Amino acid sequence: MTQRDPIFRLEGVTRRYGNLTALDGIDFVAEDNAYIALLGPSGSGKTSLLRVIAGFETPDAGRIWFQGRDITDLPAHERGIGFVFQNFALFPHLTVFENVAFGLRHGAQALPKDEITERVKSSIEMVGLAGLEDRSPEQISGGQKQRVALARSLVMQPKLVLLDEPLGALDANLRERMQVELRAIRERLDVTFLHVTGSETEALAMGDKVAVLDAGRIVQYDTPDTIYDGPVVSDVAKFLNRFNLFEGSLENGIFTGAFGAVPVTNPRKNKSDTYAIRYDRTQIFDAGDANLPGPALPARFLASEYLGSSIIFLFETEDQKTVEVDHHLSLGEPRPLTVGENYTLSWNPEHAIVFGKETAR
Amino acid sequence: MTATSRNRQKKTTFRLLAPGVVWMILFLIAPIMMIVYVSFWTQTTFAINSTLTLDSWKNFFASEAYVGALWTTIRLWLIVLTLTFVIGYPAALYVGLMVKSKTISTVLLVLCVIPFWTSFLIRVLAWRPMLGKEGAINIILQKLGLIQTPIEVLLFSELSVIIGMTQIYVVFMVGPIAFMLGRIDHNIIEAARDLGAGFGRIFWKIIFPLSLPGVVVGAIFVSVMVLGEFATSGALSGRKVNLLGNIIVTQVGSLKWAMASVVGVILTILLGIVVAGFLRIVDLKREI
Repeated sequence: MTQRDPIFRLEGVTRRYGNLTALDGIDFVAEDNAYIALLGPSGSGKTSLLRVIAGFETPDAGRIWFQGRDITDLPAHERGIGFVFQNFALFPHLTVFENVAFGLRHGAQALPKDEITERVKSSIEMVGLAGLEDRSPEQISGGQKQRVALARSLVMQPKLVLLDEPLGALDANLRERMQVELRAIRERLDVTFLHVTGSETEALAMGDKVAVLDAGRIVQYDTPDTIYDGPVVSDVAKFLNRFNLFEGSLENGIFTGAFGAVPVTNPRKNKSDTYAIRYDRTQIFDAGDANLPGPALPARFLASEYLGSSIIFLFETEDQKTVEVDHHLSLGEPRPLTVGENYTLSWNPEHAIVFGKETAR
Repeated sequence: MTATSRNRQKKTTFRLLAPGVVWMILFLIAPIMMIVYVSFWTQTTFAINSTLTLDSWKNFFASEAYVGALWTTIRLWLIVLTLTFVIGYPAALYVGLMVKSKTISTVLLVLCVIPFWTSFLIRVLAWRPMLGKEGAINIILQKLGLIQTPIEVLLFSELSVIIGMTQIYVVFMVGPIAFMLGRIDHNIIEAARDLGAGFGRIFWKIIFPLSLPGVVVGAIFVSVMVLGEFATSGALSGRKVNLLGNIIVTQVGSLKWAMASVVGVILTILLGIVVAGFLRIVDLKREI
């Protein structure tokens, strides 16, 4: 980081809708020239946060700083922050070219015609839509609309672009291609992307940094690998969708759960006692096997799901909880399993992450 | 597809179309053809016979009163159309776009329609005690000391006809426009704001173009009704304002079928031109 002001900064931003607190005193500092993914389940306030930053809504409390300037009271059209809508929000009566040119033609500063044409052309080329300038929005595909929406924001040369679940309306194939392209486009321009998503894989794949939002608060802001390996609270581990979580009780460094009592070190402060082990750290053993690397969890095999590079095995414990085991095929063929048979699941306790109301002294 | 099955499909299509076609021929095409035919009949003072002649048409265009009525009709139509648009659009903008709650916007639209619970003639005649020499408006203005003598031009003039027609038909402009405005995605307006456009730009470049189909439908409604009007001008102008509709009424009243037909044909042609002209502005099939 340079000595410059951060691109934007939130100070205790709070937004309420009646009794519902959508944003609960959010403090946040965003790096320049970064791809920031904002991950949160639906209802966590992620869209509200984006709308407050864009200026479509005013916060009930707190300040928003953009490029060293307090913009809390500035109307949306004077902020110069790009916004890409989930449903693209293209102007249906204008051609692709006119959609992209809209901000240059009708924005704050009047530009000469030649410059507008030139900037629009290069912007359309950048998103790979050259040749479609004269089409109307209803004559292009979903992926192309997404690109028009992006070009329409980027042509204004903003320093910050907010993307509200930009890939949500695309099919899986297209989504992956757009992920790569969004990152490539961002790297070519000196711009920060704040990308809101409900998909943990998308957030981890795309963000240079990931902010996890829960119940109107940012609970963790870090690089994707740090978050993946070390969620700070059990809720983050839950959204990541890569951990088997076991409720239990933690007392004097001993966690008691479905797999018995296990000594734990360095539990993380949390509102409940939860034991987390990643799907791909969980291993399968025969029932009664004595050579276990750690705790023993008896479970019944339910089904398997083939994912190409790995296989997910679904088990059910005695207390009706589903446990997943991710076996990567580069580790060799998985052992044959019989549906309905009982097995023992185990793992190396060093890989477990324990959350507890009681923390290490 | 084989020739027989294609043939069968053709027959099915024809059968499905037949009731509509028969209905249209019986109740639209045939009467119009009849009016055109009768307009060429020979009219004598007490009788009419089917000898074809151009006399009625020549009479119409030779008479200053009749041609004058044509121009009055066109002039009043343009004035009322403009007024319903100028008054109706802001109202529609409020109901269709500004009001966030769907319930409130429905309630407001219903309020606009409440006058229709009384009959058309009552609504027209209700303007007499409002606009008259000793009517409500004059009394209020005199009480307030704004005027010394009552404004007489308020009633039994072209002005009163314009006021009456505008009040009665403005709602037909509000409805379709509010409907189109209600369909605009709010994200589109926010996107325009995000791109730096102020309210004026957003209105003229986004909102107005997207509401244009509603304006056209409203304009067609108002035009069709105003061009065929006779009751408002009859009741509020004191016979000073003669529209084509009024001429038809008097000609039919005195059993001058040929002349009534001539005026009817002219009115129909005028309406056809107006509606066709409006439909050229937007492609309604694409919008609805």
